Amino acid sequence: MKKVGKPVFFIIVLLIAAMGYLTVAGVTTVYGDSTTRAIKGIDDVRWGIDIRGGVDVTFSPPEGVTATAEEMDAAESIIQVRLVSQNITDSEVYTDHDKNRIIVRFPWKADETEFNPEQAIAELGAMANLTFREGANIGPDGKPAGDTLNKPVLEGKDIESATAVYSTANSAGTPEYGVELKLKESGKQKFAEATGRLIGQPISIWMDETLISAPTVRNQINDGIAQITGQFTSQEATDLANKINAGALPFALVTENYNTISPTLGAGAKDAMMMAGAIAFAVVAAIMLVCYRLPGLVAIIALAGQVILMIASITGFFSVFPSFTLTLPGIAGIILAIGFGVDANIITAERIKEELANGRSLDSAVDSGFKRAFSAILDGNVTVIIVAIILMGSFGPPDSLFARILSPLFFMFGTSAAGTIYSFGYTLLIGVLLNLLMGVLASRLMLKSVSRQSWARNPALYGGKN
Amino acid sequence: MKNWNINFFAHRKYYFTISIMLIVVMFACALVFGVNLDIQFKGGALLTYSYTGDLDAPAFQKAAEKVLGQSVSMQESTDIATGKRNIVLSLPTSEGIDAERQAALAAALNEQFSGNEIETASISVVNPTIGGEFLAKCLVAIGFAALLMVFYVSFRFRRIGGWSAGVTAVVALVHDILMVFAVFVIGRISLNANFIAVCLTILGYSLNDTIVIYDRIRENRRIYGTSMPVEDLVNLSLNQSMTRSLLTSVTTASAMVVVSLVALLYNVNTILSFSFPMIIGMVSGFYSSVCIAPALWTMWQKKKAA
Repeated sequence: MKKVGKPVFFIIVLLIAAMGYLTVAGVTTVYGDSTTRAIKGIDDVRWGIDIRGGVDVTFSPPEGVTATAEEMDAAESIIQVRLVSQNITDSEVYTDHDKNRIIVRFPWKADETEFNPEQAIAELGAMANLTFREGANIGPDGKPAGDTLNKPVLEGKDIESATAVYSTANSAGTPEYGVELKLKESGKQKFAEATGRLIGQPISIWMDETLISAPTVRNQINDGIAQITGQFTSQEATDLANKINAGALPFALVTENYNTISPTLGAGAKDAMMMAGAIAFAVVAAIMLVCYRLPGLVAIIALAGQVILMIASITGFFSVFPSFTLTLPGIAGIILAIGFGVDANIITAERIKEELANGRSLDSAVDSGFKRAFSAILDGNVTVIIVAIILMGSFGPPDSLFARILSPLFFMFGTSAAGTIYSFGYTLLIGVLLNLLMGVLASRLMLKSVSRQSWARNPALYGGKN
Repeated sequence: MKNWNINFFAHRKYYFTISIMLIVVMFACALVFGVNLDIQFKGGALLTYSYTGDLDAPAFQKAAEKVLGQSVSMQESTDIATGKRNIVLSLPTSEGIDAERQAALAAALNEQFSGNEIETASISVVNPTIGGEFLAKCLVAIGFAALLMVFYVSFRFRRIGGWSAGVTAVVALVHDILMVFAVFVIGRISLNANFIAVCLTILGYSLNDTIVIYDRIRENRRIYGTSMPVEDLVNLSLNQSMTRSLLTSVTTASAMVVVSLVALLYNVNTILSFSFPMIIGMVSGFYSSVCIAPALWTMWQKKKAA
């Protein structure tokens, strides 16, 4: 790379500016009525729950229960279904099979005004022992009593699925909401016997020791498909179906850990951190300009490019990389990368100054400045990359790349629910990688190109003497 | 920038004394104050409520204790920017607090202090087993990172006595981690995941500083050969890379200073307990890279030659 054309500097500046515009604004294409987000902009950033509020829960089977992998998967899928049925589409659910834990993380819905974390957790964790019991004999304490206590008909394990339906299966033939129940082979016989014996009497459905429904048997059910009706609203039918589904697990999940943050708590923090980022950029830019003049200016442009590309890596600008949840420590990582990102430029600019002081010509000083600075920059960045990978591996979700790589190291520890730090590891990693691109490659191209412009031939601009 | 001409090696005894004294003070503080683990590690519950108006804090604490049937400790904080006030209850319990008791507590508090518009701002409940496991995992992560660093430095600088370079670099890293630890101990901040994140970052960051210096030593060794005494070689390299070490530390630390000030102003405690220890770690990283690691390396080389 001996000579770099004069226009290269301006081309790079324009590229960075264009990239900056696209990264912030994004691209939306409108075709007829359908609007698609072709390139994601800054509005598409997925903020972590420490910023927009939300819930982070770890569920596990109760002490003494050893759940099979299938049961953990069932539990996870039920949590997934419940999240969706609660209209929470932006959740993360991880199952740690080694430790039998399910980590659920979801942000508050945008339109949620009532903050009720207890309810959110209770709704998700409302997995309990489900039983169908003979009659509806309820003791004074609200628990099953008499025959109802002593004669269970079905267990959760006998149930295949429960679905909320809108149908005309009732005796009057008018459509109404209900729950369609499908039984497994293990339940069909028991249910047929009980429904045959109990026509006109109720069979009560219990979640643990709480009555959730007590439908009356109308006729014998032999094929294991039953309808529960009772002037439900659509919501009630869905709730009942959900509870029966969740109860099909033979154990209740307990909350090991939970963490909830109100949406108002983090909103101000995000704006504050954004402001801190802008100020930090200005401070670093001023230091670079004062200390290094022209190479300082190049460093500022490269740094702007680095920040823009970092934001692009978070929003999901490049469709090959999915968007990444950004938390407060994640923003701190970006700011750290701003402070640290000019290191490559500082090392290089110092080298150029030295070479000039040693009496070299401008061109050869710039040339050898970059060449001789490179090994130090590379070695230094490798150590930060190692650290960033370890951060992501130890604080990340179990299915993430680095967590898998490090799993031989962490095999005896469970998944940790520190998503906020994971985000920091990510911004640190991309900060360093992009620094090699912008602080080294782009800076070199820019400085070599700009040093050939007639107005930029004065060595004083590089810290040398006139 | 001026040209530096400091005889670092001659001053090494001062540097060692300063560092050892700081570490002794830190350990003394740790013994006196004790080291607090955050509930992330030791388990327990932390309940934060926001409120308006004047709140009878002792009565609030008493009410919470009555509902929960156990003692709780309480802290108040005010967000300078928004004027919002928070009250934090912490429960050192091995049982944690389940969602139902939590709801009962919120309802009771709301009833008794209806004039204060009590709202649940955040809740954090951690099972002690999981917390302990998480701490162990974090410590393994730090240990593993340090080990990788020794290997990497030893490998890259095998020409200037690989192991001596690796081991002395890691001594400097331990020094920096102790300084970060000191901030948490003296600032009475509970050790949390932020502490681990800062330690790991400082590991990478401070080593970067050390590596740039070792890189210079390696280059000067090539230029001047073995005829130059090792202490002169080190002093020359240190002075040559001094401006860079200083400036990079200044830009990085000033970015974190900005973050700390803003976090302080807006009461973003989760970030303040991250950015402030980071600044101290950076200062220490600069100091140990310039004053501690090269001096130790020089002594090692001289001893080997003798």
